[in-house]
Amino acid sequence: MVGPRSRNLWVIWLSFALALLLSVVPLPAFMETGRPLWLALFLSVWTLELPHRVGMTTAWVLGLAADVLYGSLLGQNALILTFITFLVLSLHQRLRMFPMWQQSLVLLVVFGLAQLVQLWLNALTGNRPPTLLFILPALVSALLWPWVYAALRMIRQRLGVN
Amino acid sequence: MRLLVLSVLSVALMLVDARLDTLKPVRSQLGLVLTPVYWLADLPVRLWQGVTEQFSSHSELLAENEKLKAEALLLQRRLQKLATLTEQNVRLRELLNSAALVDDQVLVGELIGVDPNPFTQRILIDKGEKDGVFLGQPVLDARGLMGQVVEVMPYSSRVLLLTDTTHSIPIQVNRNGLRAIAGGTGNPERLELRHVADTADIKEGDLLVSSGLGQRFPSGYPVATVTEVIHDSGQPFAIVRAMPTAALNRSRYVLLVFTDERSPEQRASDAAEAQEAADQADAATPAAPAAASTPGEAH
Repeated sequence: MVGPRSRNLWVIWLSFALALLLSVVPLPAFMETGRPLWLALFLSVWTLELPHRVGMTTAWVLGLAADVLYGSLLGQNALILTFITFLVLSLHQRLRMFPMWQQSLVLLVVFGLAQLVQLWLNALTGNRPPTLLFILPALVSALLWPWVYAALRMIRQRLGVN
Repeated sequence: MRLLVLSVLSVALMLVDARLDTLKPVRSQLGLVLTPVYWLADLPVRLWQGVTEQFSSHSELLAENEKLKAEALLLQRRLQKLATLTEQNVRLRELLNSAALVDDQVLVGELIGVDPNPFTQRILIDKGEKDGVFLGQPVLDARGLMGQVVEVMPYSSRVLLLTDTTHSIPIQVNRNGLRAIAGGTGNPERLELRHVADTADIKEGDLLVSSGLGQRFPSGYPVATVTEVIHDSGQPFAIVRAMPTAALNRSRYVLLVFTDERSPEQRASDAAEAQEAADQADAATPAAPAAASTPGEAH
C-alpha cells in the first residue's frame, strides 16, 4: 500500500488485546447484561482515526479471536465486527464531522443493529434471551463512546500512532 | 466487496463449526491462548482475595477454624452412618444379583472464568485435556451436580451449567423414585421439571437426584430441591420449579467425576462375567444365570 509510513502500530494491537481482556473480565451479575461492546468500540475508534490501517480484515481476525475466547460459533463475532466496521467505514467521512453526541447516536444505531444480528445468530444455536435486554450493551457502548474516543485519540496523538 | 468475502467466510465457518466436527481440534488448540487471558482477567479478584486473606484478623481466623471444625464433626457423623449404609447397600445388591457401585474418581478443578454472555450459563475451569478431562464429563461442587463439560482445550475446559436454557438432566425424586427431566431456565437459581403429570407425587422440599438414565451423569448425586409446585387447571402439566443444590454462581472449586467409561452393554457383560466367576468360586451352590446381572446404574 502506498501511503504514510506506519508508526507505533503496536499501540493499536495492545488496545485490542485490552479490549479482549475487558470483554471477559468478571463483572457482578447485574452489570453483566450491560457489558459494553469493548471490541466494537475500540475498532470503531481506530477505523475512524486510521481507516487505512484498521479495516474489515482486522475486524474479522479480532472477531475470530473473540469467538475462541467466548466459545461462540467460530465466525459469529467475526461476522458482526466486520459488519460494524463496514458501517463505520462507509459512514466515516460524515461521522468525523459530527459533534460527539451525534456520533454517539449514529453508533447507537450501528451497535443496535449488530446486537440484533447477534440475537438472530444466537437464536440459531438455541440461546435466545427472553427479553429486550440484549439492546442494553449497545446503549451502554454508545454512552461510553465519547470517553473512549477521546482517550484513544489522545493516546494516538501522544504516541504519534500512524 | 471485501465485506461480501468476509461475510461468506464467516457464515461458512459458522456452518462448518455447527454441523461438522472438523474444526474441533483447531478450536481446542486455539483455546491454548485463552487460558492466560482468563487468568489475567481474573487476576484482580485473585489479588483481592489474597489481600483479604493476608489481612483477615486473628479472631476471624479463629471463628472460621471453629466453624470448619464443627462442620467436620457433622460430616464425620454422617460418614459413620454412610459406612454402615454402604455395607448394607452392597449386601442388598448382592442379594439382587447386581453389580456393586464403585466409588467414582474425582479431580478438583478451579473456576477461572465465567462466560461473558449473560444469557448463557457456562463457566471455564483450569483443567483440560492434559488432565484427562473429556467431553460430556459431569462436574460437581460440594453440594451437588453443576453441569457437564462441553468443550475441552489443552489446559482448560468449558462447562455448561444445569441452568443453561439448552441443558436438561434426567432426575428422580429421592423420596419415591419418580422420574422426570429438569431443564434449565437461564436463571442460575431455578430449574423447571418438564412434563410432570398434574397428579404426580411431588411436593415442595423434595430432593431431586440424578437418575443416571441419560448415561451422562452418574446416578444418585443431588441436583435440586423443589421450591414450588403449581397446579394450574389451564395447563396440561404441573409447573414444578426447583433450586439447584450446587452453588452454581458461587462455587470456586469444582469436582470433575470420572465414571465408568464402558458402554452399558459392556458393563453388563463384565458384571455378568464377574458374577459367573464368583459363582464358580462358590462351588457349593449351582451357577446362577448370568443374564440376571444388571448394570449398577439401571435402577
